[in-house]
Amino acid sequence: MTRKQKRLAVIAGGMSFILVAVLLVMFAFSQSVAYFFMPADLAKADIKPGTRIRLGGLVAEGSVKRGQGSTVSFTVTDGTGNVPVTYTGILPDLFREGQGVVTEGAFDAASHGFVADSVLAKHDENYMPKEVADRLKKEGVWEDGKGSKGQANQGQTNQGQNTGAKGTATR
Amino acid sequence: MVLWIILAALTAAVAAILILPFARATKAASADRAGEVAVYRDQLAELDRDRAQGLINAEEAEYARAEIGRRLLAAAGAGEAGETAAPKTRKHGLATAAVTLMPPVVGLCLYLALGNPGLPDQPLEARLANPGNNVALLVAKAERHLAENPNDGAGWDLLAPIYFRSMRLGDAELAYRNAIRILGPNPVRLAGLGETLVASNDGIVTEDARAAFEQAMKLDPDNPRSRFYVGLGFEQAGRAAEARAQFETIAKASPPDAPWMQLVNQHIARNGGTVVSGKGTAQALGNPSQADMAAAENMSQGDRQAMVRGMVDSLAERLKQDPNNLEGWVRLVRSYAVLGDKPKAEEALKSGLKQFPSSGELVALANEMGLAVEGVAQ
Amino acid sequence: MIIEIGHYALVLALATALILSVLPVIGARRGDAAMMALAPTGSLVLFALVTLSFGALTWAYVVSDFSVANVWENSHSLMPLIYKYSGVWGNHEGSMLLWLLILVFFSALVAVFGGNLPDTLRANVLAVQAWISTAFLLFILLTSNPFLRLDPAPAEGQDLNPVLQDFGLAVHPPLLYLGYVGFSVCFSFAVAALIEGRIDAAWARWVRPWTLAAWTFLTAGIAMGSYWAYYELGWGGWWFWDPVENASFMPWLAGTALLHSALVMEKREALKIWTVLLAIMTFSLSLLGTFLVRSGVLTSVHSFATDPTRGIFILCILAIFIGGAFVLFAWRAPMLKAGGIFAPISREGALVLNNLILTVATATVLTGTLYPLILETLTGEKISVGAPFFNMTFGLLMLPLLVAVPFGPVLAWKRGDLLGALQRLWVFAGLSMFAGLAFFYIQNGGPVLAIFGLALGFWGMIGALADLWYRGNFAKVGFSVGVKRLIGLPRSVFGTAIAHFGLGVTVLGIFAATTFGTETVVEMKQGASVDVGGYSLTYDGLRDAVGPNYTESRGHFAVSRGGVEVADVWSSKRLYTARRMPTTEAGILTFGLSQLYVSLGDAMEGGGMVVRIWWKPFILCIWGGALVMMAGGFVSLSDRRLRVGAPSRKAKPVKARLEAAE
Repeated sequence: MTRKQKRLAVIAGGMSFILVAVLLVMFAFSQSVAYFFMPADLAKADIKPGTRIRLGGLVAEGSVKRGQGSTVSFTVTDGTGNVPVTYTGILPDLFREGQGVVTEGAFDAASHGFVADSVLAKHDENYMPKEVADRLKKEGVWEDGKGSKGQANQGQTNQGQNTGAKGTATR
Repeated sequence: MVLWIILAALTAAVAAILILPFARATKAASADRAGEVAVYRDQLAELDRDRAQGLINAEEAEYARAEIGRRLLAAAGAGEAGETAAPKTRKHGLATAAVTLMPPVVGLCLYLALGNPGLPDQPLEARLANPGNNVALLVAKAERHLAENPNDGAGWDLLAPIYFRSMRLGDAELAYRNAIRILGPNPVRLAGLGETLVASNDGIVTEDARAAFEQAMKLDPDNPRSRFYVGLGFEQAGRAAEARAQFETIAKASPPDAPWMQLVNQHIARNGGTVVSGKGTAQALGNPSQADMAAAENMSQGDRQAMVRGMVDSLAERLKQDPNNLEGWVRLVRSYAVLGDKPKAEEALKSGLKQFPSSGELVALANEMGLAVEGVAQ
Repeated sequence: MIIEIGHYALVLALATALILSVLPVIGARRGDAAMMALAPTGSLVLFALVTLSFGALTWAYVVSDFSVANVWENSHSLMPLIYKYSGVWGNHEGSMLLWLLILVFFSALVAVFGGNLPDTLRANVLAVQAWISTAFLLFILLTSNPFLRLDPAPAEGQDLNPVLQDFGLAVHPPLLYLGYVGFSVCFSFAVAALIEGRIDAAWARWVRPWTLAAWTFLTAGIAMGSYWAYYELGWGGWWFWDPVENASFMPWLAGTALLHSALVMEKREALKIWTVLLAIMTFSLSLLGTFLVRSGVLTSVHSFATDPTRGIFILCILAIFIGGAFVLFAWRAPMLKAGGIFAPISREGALVLNNLILTVATATVLTGTLYPLILETLTGEKISVGAPFFNMTFGLLMLPLLVAVPFGPVLAWKRGDLLGALQRLWVFAGLSMFAGLAFFYIQNGGPVLAIFGLALGFWGMIGALADLWYRGNFAKVGFSVGVKRLIGLPRSVFGTAIAHFGLGVTVLGIFAATTFGTETVVEMKQGASVDVGGYSLTYDGLRDAVGPNYTESRGHFAVSRGGVEVADVWSSKRLYTARRMPTTEAGILTFGLSQLYVSLGDAMEGGGMVVRIWWKPFILCIWGGALVMMAGGFVSLSDRRLRVGAPSRKAKPVKARLEAAE
C-alpha cells in the first residue's frame, strides 16, 4: 500500500466508525425513547398497549391504595383526565397525594390500566416536574410566580450536588 | 463610617498593587522562547535515556533526534531574533489612569447599587443575647433554652400560648403537654391544650380535647371557657340535652353582659332551650350580624364557623406579616374554602402561590376545592 | 460589616478582572513588559479578593447571620457545623461563588507557577482567564448575588435541603469544580495560542499538567458524586444517565481525549489543530453542563434553581465564549503548521483511535442529552431519553476502546514495528474471541455478554501490567534487572499503567455488579428472614429515634451467614422537621468489595414493612477503579518532566500546587 492508500484507509475506517455510531444512535432513538403524555392527551392520542410512555400529572387525592405486598395503585390526574396506575416497588420518599409525579411504563392490554416501572418525584417540597408544570401553567391551573424574593424555596440545591437531590424509584 | 474607611483602604490597596508593575523599572522583555528551548533539550535527554535502556532502536532514535533537533533550532533561532529587538521604554499614562480609576469607580458605583452599607452583621448568637422586643427571636431563644433544659416546665408554659397564637399548633400541643407533664395540670394549661386540639382539628372537639376540658372543668368549675367547649363537644356529638345543660350552667354563672353570652344563648337556643332574656343581650355586643346570619343560615355549622373564622382571620393577619409559611397558606386556603368564602380563599391561594410558586400542595388543593387561580377559568 | 466587606470585595474583583481582561492582551501585542507583568500580579489580587468574599459568606453561614438572604434560605442554626461550612455551596448562589473561587484559584496558580512560560503566552492565558472571571462575576453580582440582605432579619433559617446534609456535599462539589474549572486553563491556553497564532510541541507540554490535574479531580468528583447518589438516595443505583450526570461526564470524556491527543502533540507535533479544538470543546462542555444544570431547560431528577433569567445569562456567556473561541479557531487554525506524520499502526495511531472513539462517544451522550430539548423546541413534543439509549449507544461504542487500551502503550511511536505486528496478531485473536462470543450470544443470549464484559475488565487490568512487563523487559533480562529498569522509567509511564489498570477495575465492577447483583423486594414482619446473596437477613422491628434536626424510624436487621450472625444493619426513614421532608437512609454493609444494601419502603397494614434489598457484588470496584485512575493521574503529575522549562524556578511547582489544591 502506498502512503496515500494508507491514509485513505484510515480515513475510511474513521468515517465508517462515525457512520456506525450515527446508525446506532438512530436505532436507539427508535427503540428506547419514551414520549411524555398527560392524562388529557391520552384521549386524543392512540397509544397501543405495550408502547413505553411517560405519564405525568398530579396524584389524585385519596386515590393511593396500597395493595398486596409492594404493589401500589393510584390515579394520575390533570384536572380533565384520570388514569389508573399500578406500580410495584418502593415509591420515592416524596410521593404524596396532591403532588406532581412522572411515571414511566406502558398500558396493559388486558386491564387497560397503566403499569409503571418507574416513578419519579423530586426531592423538594415544592416539586413539580417540569413537563407537568408547563402543562398545568398552559391550562391555567397553576400560575408561575414572578422571580421575587419569595423564591426562597427554589434556590436550595445546586449542581454541586450534581447527584444530589433526586427521588426516583425504579423497579 | 468604619466600613467606609475599610472599603476605601481595600480599594487603595488593590489600585496600588495593580500599579506596581508600571512603577517598577521596565526590565527587558525576557528571551521569549527560552522555556521552549528547555522543553526540547529535555526531550533530547529523554531520548538518550530511552536509547540507553533499549526502549527504542537506533534507527527510531535517530529519526526522533532529527525531529526534535529541528524544533530546537527553530525555537532557539526565533528566540535570538526576538532578543535583538531592544527593549523600549514606554509611557503608560492611559494604562495607569485606567488601573487607578477602575477600582474606585466600578467598585463604588456597583456597590452603591447592590450593597447595604448601613446594615450591620447580625450573627444569631449576638441577636439572641440581646433580643429586644422581637417575638420571633424571643421564641427562638426560649426554644434553645428548652432544647437544653427540656424539663423547664415554666418555659413550656410560657411558650405554649405564643405557639398557639402563631398557629404553630403542633408545637403548641407539645408545649402544653410538656408543661402539664412537668408542672401538673391546671385549668389554664388544660383549656389551652384543649383549644389547641380543637384548632388543629378544624373546630371539632375530639375525644382528647374533651377529656382535657372536662379535667379543667373539674379543677375549676366556674371557668366558662372549658365548660363551653365541653358543651360544644356534646352538641357536635348530637347530645343536645347534655349540651344545653352545660350552656345553661354558663349562662347562669355569668353576668348577663359578659361578652360570651350572645354565643352561649345561641347554643342554648340551638339545643332546644329558651334563652334567658337579659338586658339587650344581643345588641350589647359589638358586631353580631355575621354570626347571626351564619347561625340563621346553618344552625349546626354556625358557631363552629364563627370560631374558626376568628382563628382564620388571625392566621391571615399573621401570614401577611410573615408570608413564608407554606403550611400556613395551605391551612388558610383550606379554611376559607371550608367556610365557603370563595373570594377570600382565592385571594389567599393567589398570595400563597406568589410566595411558593411551585407548590404542588397549593395547586392540588385548588383543584380539590374547585378554586380558580387569578382570573383564569380552570 | 464583614458581609458588606465581602460584597464589596466581589465588586472590586470585577473591576480588577476588567483591567486584567484588557491590558495584558494589549501588552502582549505591543511587547510591553509592564503591561504583561500586570497579568500575574492582578491574578493574585483577584484571587485574594474572591477569597475574601468567599470567606465573608462562609463566616455568615458559620455564625448563622440570617440577615443574609442566602444564609436564611439554606441554613439552620441547629445544623451541625460541617454542614454550615458545606452549606455555603449547597445552593445556587454559593455554588457559583465556589465556581468563581476555583476559577481565580487556577489563574493564580498559572500566575505563580507559569514562570516557565513565555511572557506573552502567560499574559494572554491570564487575560483569557480574566474574561471568564469577568463573565461569571457579572453573572453572580447581577443575577445570583449571595450577599443580598434581609431587614429585619428572620429568627431562624429554612434549613438546608436534607439530601444535602451529608458529608458528600462537603467533598463532591469542590472536587467536581476543580475538574470542571480546571479545564478553563486548557481553554485559555488554546485561545491564547490562537491569539498568538503560534503553537508547538512545547505548548502541549505546558498544557499537560493542567489537563492532567483537571482530569484527575474530575474523575474523583464524578466517582464521589456517583457513590454519594448511591448511598444517599436509597434506591441502589449508581449511575442514571441523568442530564446533570451527563453534564459532568461529557467534559470528562472530552478531557480524556485531550489528555491523549496532547501527548501526540508533545511528542510529534502532530494533531495540533485537533488538540486545540479539543481543549476548546472540553471547556465548552463544562460551560454547557453549567448552563444545563443552572437553567433548568432539561428535566432532571436532580433539583436545582430554575430561573429563566439566570439561564439566559449563562446562555449568553456560553454563546460568547464557545462562539468566540470557535470563530477564532476558524480564523487562526489554517495558519498553524502541520506536524509530523505517522503510520496507522503506531502509538500515534492508537491515540488517534482513542480520540476518535472518545469524541464520537461524547457526541452520542451529547445527542441523547440535548435531543429532548431540541425536539421540544422544534415540534413541542416531549420525550425522555433514558438509560437504555445510552447503554445501547455509548456502551457499544466504548467496547472497542476498552479492547484497544492495552495496545496503545506498548506500540512504538511513529511506526509500530515487529512488536506491533505481534500486537496485531493479538488484535486478531481478540477480534476472533469477540466474534465467537457474539455468535454464541446470538445463539444463546444472556450471560455471554457479561463474560465478555468481565474479560474486558481483566483485559484492561492485565494489559496495564503487561505494559510494565514489556517496559521492564522482564522476559529477557530477568527479575532484578527488570525492576531496576522499571525504576528508571519516567513516572508518567507508571501513571498511564495505573490509570489504565483503574479503568479495567471499573469496567470489571460495572459488569460484575450488573450481572451478578440481585434485587429483592419483600414485605417483612418482625422476625421474618430473607436470603440474599448468600446472607440471611432477619428483620427485628422498627425503633424511633431523634436526631439533631430530624426524627426517624429505624429498622434493624441482623445479618447472618451459614447460621452465624456476622453483622447487623440499620435502615431508616427520616423526617427533617424544618422542611417537613422525608428521606430514606439506606443501610449498607460491606463484605470485601461487595455490598449488601437495605432500604425501607412503606409500612404495610398489619405491621409489616416493605423492604428492598440489593446484593451488589464487586460494586466497590466501580469507584475503587476511579480512585486508582485518580492515583494514576497524580503519579503522572509528579513526573519531573512536566516541570521542565522553568530554568530559574525549580521549586517543585506541581507538587506544591497539588498540596494547595487538595
